Amino acid sequence: MAAITSPADRLIDPLTTTRTASLWRDTLANIVRQRNARVGLVILGILLFAAIFADVVAAYNPDKVLFDQGIKRLSAPCIHLLGCPATTPEHLFGIDANGRDEFSRVLHGARISLQVGFLTVGFAIVIGSLLGLIAGYASGRIETVIMRTMDVLLVFPALLLAIAIVAALGPGLINAQLAIGIVAIPVYARIMRSSVLSVRQSDFVTGSRALGESPIGLVFRRILPNSLTPTIVAGTLGIAGAVLDVAALSFLGLGAQPPTSEWGSMVGQDRGYLFTAPHLVFFPGVALAMTVFGFNLLGDGIRDALDPRLNR
Amino acid sequence: MSRTTRWSRLASLGVLSIVFSACAGSVSPSPSSGGAPSTGASQPAASAASAAAFTAKAYPETAVDCANPPKYTSGSNSATYTGIFKQITAVDQLTVKFDLCSADVAFLSKIAFASNNIQDSDWLNAHAKDKSITHDAINGTAAYQLKEWVPGAQVTLEANPNYWGDKAKAQTVVIKWSKEATQRLQDLQAGTVDGIDNVAPDDFQTVQNDPNLQILPREALNILYLGFNVNQAPWNNEKVRQAIAMGLDRKRIADNFYPPGSEAADYFTPCAIPLACGGDKWYATDTAKAKQMLTDAGFDFSKTYDFHYRTKVRSYLPSPTQVATDLQSQLADIGVKISLVVEKDDTYLSDEAQGKFPLFLLGWGADYPDVTDFLDVHFGTGANSGFGKKFDDLTKSLAAGAAESDQTKRGQDYTDANNQVRTHVPMVPLVHGASATAWKKDVQNAHSSPIGSEYFFVMTPGDRTQLVWSQNSEPSGLYCGDESDGDALRICSQIFDSLYNYKVAGLDPEPALATSCDPNADLTSWTCKLRDGVQFQKGGTLDANDVVDSMAAQWDVKNPLHVGNLGANWYFPTLFGGCLNPNFDKDGAQTCAVGGS
Repeated sequence: MAAITSPADRLIDPLTTTRTASLWRDTLANIVRQRNARVGLVILGILLFAAIFADVVAAYNPDKVLFDQGIKRLSAPCIHLLGCPATTPEHLFGIDANGRDEFSRVLHGARISLQVGFLTVGFAIVIGSLLGLIAGYASGRIETVIMRTMDVLLVFPALLLAIAIVAALGPGLINAQLAIGIVAIPVYARIMRSSVLSVRQSDFVTGSRALGESPIGLVFRRILPNSLTPTIVAGTLGIAGAVLDVAALSFLGLGAQPPTSEWGSMVGQDRGYLFTAPHLVFFPGVALAMTVFGFNLLGDGIRDALDPRLNR
Repeated sequence: MSRTTRWSRLASLGVLSIVFSACAGSVSPSPSSGGAPSTGASQPAASAASAAAFTAKAYPETAVDCANPPKYTSGSNSATYTGIFKQITAVDQLTVKFDLCSADVAFLSKIAFASNNIQDSDWLNAHAKDKSITHDAINGTAAYQLKEWVPGAQVTLEANPNYWGDKAKAQTVVIKWSKEATQRLQDLQAGTVDGIDNVAPDDFQTVQNDPNLQILPREALNILYLGFNVNQAPWNNEKVRQAIAMGLDRKRIADNFYPPGSEAADYFTPCAIPLACGGDKWYATDTAKAKQMLTDAGFDFSKTYDFHYRTKVRSYLPSPTQVATDLQSQLADIGVKISLVVEKDDTYLSDEAQGKFPLFLLGWGADYPDVTDFLDVHFGTGANSGFGKKFDDLTKSLAAGAAESDQTKRGQDYTDANNQVRTHVPMVPLVHGASATAWKKDVQNAHSSPIGSEYFFVMTPGDRTQLVWSQNSEPSGLYCGDESDGDALRICSQIFDSLYNYKVAGLDPEPALATSCDPNADLTSWTCKLRDGVQFQKGGTLDANDVVDSMAAQWDVKNPLHVGNLGANWYFPTLFGGCLNPNFDKDGAQTCAVGGS
């Protein structure tokens, strides 16, 4: 059966489809052209590989205590290629304070950090963008209520507010993600609202409205797609912040709980061994730093790629 | 010694005043004083009175009838007096007599404990009601007196110029605290403190290798255990508890998370304590059998069970999170999934005492070298509700052992008790943990006390006049009749004396405020002669009424002086079996806490 389409659809959709495909292709090409973005992509590629194949790459279960294999807790890294005796089991990053393989835990930590970053920011973007979209399009009293609520949330320092939320909800990785997500909502709401305020005045929106587009259609088919770019850039940069914030909560004992191999909690639990077994803090610390670095580079690259002024 | 019980926050809600109002008329008047203990005196004049003017007290006026012990009821709850105290009498100004319902072979060790320190009667009457005796109005007889307590920062003590014994070597003692063992060690290495408590197991070598420091090991007179509330499923199944007992590798914990000198526990009480280790050793580790027993018992392997612990470092638990994590791993090996729940330090013990935790990690350090301090405290009639219901056969064995003066028969009682603990498994004994203090090399007479009661007055900090000590935590109060935390009790030992004190770095009681305490033939009556001329730091002279009031304040829940910091008065019933006029907790068990649970 032939699809029934409105005159407006027939006029705009083909153009939009072609333009969207081209836009994303151009954007991707622009991103790859950025040196920062390339470095970021490589780092995050490694991270993604580690997260996906952690079970294969890691020689041990990250929660498995290895005392029965004759290892000693807090053992330094043992790499056979670097002269560690072949009779000693190889542990690339050493052994943690509970007798577990540090390398396996750091690898599995990548999975948690990626999950934390994407879920937290995804949650904040979805809720924040929706609120910003409604506020920007509806204006008036609805806008006032939404944006003043966002202002109230922004009054509090983000991490302190997150700590308060976790204290209320109880410690745990999910609650920590929720807290960081809630704290980040106002950022995306404000970005989306300002974009919407600009886009809704555009000629193509006016044209669509004149052609009989419904308010829902206007919002979700015309305004939202054209307001997303700043949110995406902010989201990419926000992932780094989210990973760091959740790690901070875990460091304080409010996020991931034992035996979860989350980098922040690993650093927090083993910080007492900074001088006696520095590898326990070093490796998860470096992994955390590289992840944040990677997302920041990629975010910068995306921002540059999407900035029409820099493209000229 | 190693716990802080916080039974109630009712005091802050004004409930104390209601209790006082309700109880004001019910305190037994003293026969010779002709009335209830004074509550309004503010000047320590009475204790300075001459012998001729001395009005001796007895508490209670009529001795407890041990053959027909008092019965108490409140609503649907009822209880019978379970304590061993019959009456405390001031015979004359410098003589006090303790009459007991049954023999207590550990009496001297018990009264030497810091919770039984002696307060000035008039001072107590003046300052107990407003609770200033817990933080500000500190008035003892020992070598140091409180100079300043800056909450959250430090406690400063200064030498007591009127001390009856050898004067303190250091003019000032500053007591600081830090939860982190690493931080304490860094302070010691930096020279900002002279001594630290509980060196982390991984730092023993560091201290030993430092030519400027000395490490002084502390005997492992403690126990770390995994506790069950046997009232709550699935831990109400004895077979399940036995399976858990079998599934845990205690040696692995002792070997990996404790310093040298620690050992896996085969009995609840450390074997260095006489009569502690009769009966069968604890279950050998057998994970396959443990799994099978759990399966046979119908254990639900699909559930995740909460496991409660706190992160406060203790000599019995130097690495709380690591030990908890290892237990989690070991239990996972037998199919038991647990979720680690970190509890707040300040409410952990009171919550545990009320039986709020189905599965938990806790420990105990010796207060005095007798098996009663371990078994009776945890499983006897005066024990709290942490493990849920009590086991009749076990309480009977313990009561018999505590009253038995024949060591052979007493040994048999504790053998029975150990076997009953092993059968019922209200907890799994894990490790007797060694620990250590560390000091600057130039601190003379530095020592570690096996019960954590180091005496600073014998120490000379090099050529300095000030000794700085860093411990795990800030004391919650300094009225130690109502404290049970080792960090508070240690400070109390610097300021207060008991009738007997423990020897420096030792366990034997030696005369302190009493020059002697002599029993009658069957050990049911102890007569103590007090040291003459002992001055309290804020004025007042020691007399027998001070002893009567100090003990009665803890013994009788309806005594107007039964206040303390949080009103738990936890130690007295655990040491002496029970208190007069107890309250009832939410489970209907009697408690000496103000206002019940």
